[in-house]
Amino acid sequence: MRWLFSFVLATLLAAVHAVSYTGSRLLVVLEDAAEKEKYGVFLGDLESRGYHITTESPKSDKLSLFKHGERAYDHVLLLPSKAKGLGPALTANLLLEFMKKEGNILLALSSENGTPSSVNSLLLELDIHIPSDKGAVVVDHFNYDSTSAAEKHDVLLLPFPKALRPDVKNYFGGEGVIAVPRAVGQVLGNDSPLLAPVLRAPSTAYSYNPKDESDIVEDPFAVGAQLNLVSVLQAHNSARLAVLGSAEVLQNAWFAEKATLNGQAVKTANRDFSEKLTSWTFKETGVLKVGKLLHYQDEGVSKKLNTSGALPENNPQIYRIKSDVAFQVELSEYSKTHLVPFVPADSDVVQLEFSMLSPFHRLNLTPISKTANATIFGVSFKTPDQHGIFNFRVNYRRPFLTNIEEKRQVTVRHFAHDEWPRSWQISGAWVWIGGIWVTVFGWLAFVAVWLWSAPAEKTVKKTQ
Amino acid sequence: MAVAESESVFTPATSRNTRGMLRVIILALIAAAAVSSRLFSVIRFESIIHEFDPWFNFRATKYLVQNGFYSFWDWFDDRTWHPLGRVTGGTLYPGLMVTSGVIYHALRFLTLPVDIRNICVLLAPGFSGLTALATYLLTSEMVTSPSAGLLAAAFMGITPGYISRSVAGSYDNEAIAIFLLVFTFFLWIKAVKNGSMFWGALTALFYGYMVSAWGGYVFITNLLPLHAFVLICMGRYSARLYVSYTSWYALGTLASMQIPFVGFLPIRSSEHMSSLGVFGLIQLVAFVDYVRAQLPSKQFQTLLRAIVLFVFVVAFGGLVLLTVSGVIAPWTGRFYSLWDTGYAKIHIPIIASVSEHQPTAWPAFFFDLSMMIWLFPAGVYMCFKRLTDEQVFIVIYAVLASYFAGVMVRLMLTLTPIVCVASAMAFSQILDTYLDTKTPKVDSKETGSSDAAKVAAAAVLPDGLRSTRKPVVGIYSYASKLTVVGASAVYLLLFVLHCTWVTSNAYSSPSVVLASRLPDGSQHIIDDYREAYYWLRQNTPDNAKIMSWWDYGYQIGGMADRPTLVDNNTWNNTHIATVGKAMSSREEVSYPIMRQHEVDYVLVVFGGLLGYSGDDINKFLWMVRIAEGIWPEEVKERNFFTPRGEYRVDEEATPTMKNSLMYKMSYYNYNSLFPAGQAQDRVRGARLPAQGPELSTIEEAFTSENWIIRIYKVKDLDNFGRDHQSATSFEKGHKKKRTAKRKGPRVLRVD
Repeated sequence: MRWLFSFVLATLLAAVHAVSYTGSRLLVVLEDAAEKEKYGVFLGDLESRGYHITTESPKSDKLSLFKHGERAYDHVLLLPSKAKGLGPALTANLLLEFMKKEGNILLALSSENGTPSSVNSLLLELDIHIPSDKGAVVVDHFNYDSTSAAEKHDVLLLPFPKALRPDVKNYFGGEGVIAVPRAVGQVLGNDSPLLAPVLRAPSTAYSYNPKDESDIVEDPFAVGAQLNLVSVLQAHNSARLAVLGSAEVLQNAWFAEKATLNGQAVKTANRDFSEKLTSWTFKETGVLKVGKLLHYQDEGVSKKLNTSGALPENNPQIYRIKSDVAFQVELSEYSKTHLVPFVPADSDVVQLEFSMLSPFHRLNLTPISKTANATIFGVSFKTPDQHGIFNFRVNYRRPFLTNIEEKRQVTVRHFAHDEWPRSWQISGAWVWIGGIWVTVFGWLAFVAVWLWSAPAEKTVKKTQ
Repeated sequence: MAVAESESVFTPATSRNTRGMLRVIILALIAAAAVSSRLFSVIRFESIIHEFDPWFNFRATKYLVQNGFYSFWDWFDDRTWHPLGRVTGGTLYPGLMVTSGVIYHALRFLTLPVDIRNICVLLAPGFSGLTALATYLLTSEMVTSPSAGLLAAAFMGITPGYISRSVAGSYDNEAIAIFLLVFTFFLWIKAVKNGSMFWGALTALFYGYMVSAWGGYVFITNLLPLHAFVLICMGRYSARLYVSYTSWYALGTLASMQIPFVGFLPIRSSEHMSSLGVFGLIQLVAFVDYVRAQLPSKQFQTLLRAIVLFVFVVAFGGLVLLTVSGVIAPWTGRFYSLWDTGYAKIHIPIIASVSEHQPTAWPAFFFDLSMMIWLFPAGVYMCFKRLTDEQVFIVIYAVLASYFAGVMVRLMLTLTPIVCVASAMAFSQILDTYLDTKTPKVDSKETGSSDAAKVAAAAVLPDGLRSTRKPVVGIYSYASKLTVVGASAVYLLLFVLHCTWVTSNAYSSPSVVLASRLPDGSQHIIDDYREAYYWLRQNTPDNAKIMSWWDYGYQIGGMADRPTLVDNNTWNNTHIATVGKAMSSREEVSYPIMRQHEVDYVLVVFGGLLGYSGDDINKFLWMVRIAEGIWPEEVKERNFFTPRGEYRVDEEATPTMKNSLMYKMSYYNYNSLFPAGQAQDRVRGARLPAQGPELSTIEEAFTSENWIIRIYKVKDLDNFGRDHQSATSFEKGHKKKRTAKRKGPRVLRVD
């Protein structure tokens, strides 16, 4: 029995040793098995990175995202299909359910095949908008490949994306040009903070539907940088969904193709980009891990965070108001194969909130030290003059990084009866303390005087 | 009565000893009767803590017993009033818990380990025995007749007015406070009678104990000064009064200031100003008295009274001035509602919403006091006959307590002791008159035996009236004696019957467990509360925050051991109003409130299925009113009434009502119990809409057997950043419609 157990353990370990942080089971949904050839290099790359690929047709009866109520796969790659629907196993609700269980989806669209209805409603629900008509493509008259699309201008050649904002890390940067042929442009909704564009169309691009010439002039679907060729969504539970406007980007035909951009011969770097895109989507990059949290009463001696996983966090449950508290947290970032110390982007900091209903402190955490695979951030502060139930809260949400939402509840109590300064230590009280003693001694003196002079008084009284 | 009869049989010395012996035995029997008549609930149900407040006291006592006195003193309770917490050690009257803790440790010291719960359950009956004893002592100070004291003790032991707050399991502050109240009054009377500093100091000591036990100590704080003031005004100032009052006031005030919850109130709040004022006044009076002793003068008395009145006016003016300028804390709302019964309803809904703060309904007086309700005035009237210092006290107490009992239901409790004392005095007078076996000597021929009624009247009437000025000689006829005594005995028996009946039927329900009768007459226990609380205890994480209306806060804390947002210690009106707002608003409004307060579960009480009228829908208007007090713009009571001013839950209910979280939680899925369209609310007698309410931000977690308690779990934020309504409708298969042609300029996304 034991050898069996160790064997199972060994296989499990091997499985875990995949390059993704969450798991290696990848489902590729592909309608036509013949099409698999087209994505051969791409799938080969994934396999070499440790993914166990299962290819299924959406029509297959065996296809199911779940088994016994749990995810059957860790990641799904949805390649475009000709069919209008994706079948009962891949409805929008099931895809959302898959993401609720922290599965990741890479969704490749194609302008040649219409978008399946379940994908359509999924995208609509997530506030990602695509042109409603089949055949709408992104066209750019300035950044097109004149070798393959000299006429239609619908094969875009774009540089690798820059960082979205100065305070956001870039996981999609690289050298070369990306060829995006016949892409379905996406427009992201305004309200959702979960959405982020990865590859935007150049400012000269616009969405164009060859079938409907009249509409495009008056009311184009979207133009310029509002149009995204690749956009992503990261749910609250950090499940990732990437929408790739053109499935052809992943095809062998465009992986290292010669192209011409504005008269210059260039070579497409789609292989590099698709590797970057899949490694982000399937959680090989941009994954943050919170190690331990340490908080303690700061009595001049600084404690060291115990990073060993074997020991539980052993933090105090209760503090007093107006006492010094130190806080430390251990953060790592997963990078392809292992955890490395997390370093935030240049103009970004991780913050700690000490909150009850609303934050009483919001403090920048500074890196104190680094271990082999984690940075230890820390800060010290004084608890506010308000008792109650507080939370040490690290709420770090940035595009392309998994969300950190860590809370440790502590009680902040009032001063105990013996923690106040004694009366004689307060100079303002001396008058009153003096008053007490003057009264005491005065009374004693009065009693003494009264007793000594008592007989004389009595006789006087009696005469009256 | 038996005592009086045995008089002729024995020699004076034996007779005195026997009477003393009998008195002890009778008192012991009275105490035993008092204890045993309070045990109905333990025998019928089980040894369980009752109602709401006792659950907190019980929890606090357990904390005290487990952690010791000092950590109790400094207790910061992080499981109530989440997330504010409560400085419990400094905001409670610790007397009750400390008493039980002392008993617990004393019993353990005697190697009698008794469970703390049983001590708590039986504390109130135990102290009621002591109250009977204290009443005996107090009454014995008032009259010479020894039977009056025994009668008063017996009355006090079984009167429903007191039993209502002291049955086994009713572990509330009043459980020991009434004993302390009566005993403090006894000591005060003793002090005034003897002019003794020792008795004065003892009064202060028990007054200090009383302060530590119950907020009702203010009654003593005001009654004793009023007694002293009235005595002074009657020109009865004496050195005895001076000694007893000053020693009580000085020591008692110091003692009361030792309780953290009271702190500096005795010198800062208006409620305590009368005792301070009378303290000052009595110094002046003493001084003037001294001066008068030195300078005798006919006119001095007039001058004295003028001075007294002048000083009183000045002091009162100063008090008003200080109150207005804010040096002295203004009167609290509960005190305003003592003077103006409509005050609370208008200004402080939180006080008005408590049922025990409602004005008393008149049948309650008879219900709680039975025949004493007509003996009581007779006893008070008798006090006018002699009007000694202590009888003045009875009169003042009777007048004040009668008024307060009429204003607030719970103050019936302070009225009860004086009613017992006064009625015992009246009753013993009747018995003493008619039970005398000796035939009185004939002094006057006019009073015949046939005119028994007149004689009886003469016995209780003062000499001041002309009709009674003729000498009273007594009763001759055994027939009249027997009639009156027999009638009295019947009254007493009826009184016992009434008390037992009331206790057994009205005051012995734990209210945690409900009892009902099945058609075949057997008892059926409805145990939904405990079922739900134990569900919480066993199925939720240890620090899952429960939101419910404040009535259930203490019970959740005590039985489910989970943190609550608000509880019966209604110190923070805003926090209660927040909960009220969450309950009375639409889900979209409530959800952010619940998220902010980290609420995990919401608990509502729903009586619609069983016809249990004390449920949350019936209390709902109070939640609305309290919330409206803080957010008049967002919550409006008017919107919960139909245009015709009706409070309805059926088809006609207003949209605000139907969309409120409380309504939805109460009636969610209720339709499923009935055939389509037949859902019936048995409390409000209403047929519910065919389409039941739908919930999106919370989901049903638990519903108890009879649907009395329903618990809902608050959902987490939607994983994909949608609002819950659209997420729910999407899950049901309603696809989002593609927005039609946008109007106006596009809103561009900026990253």
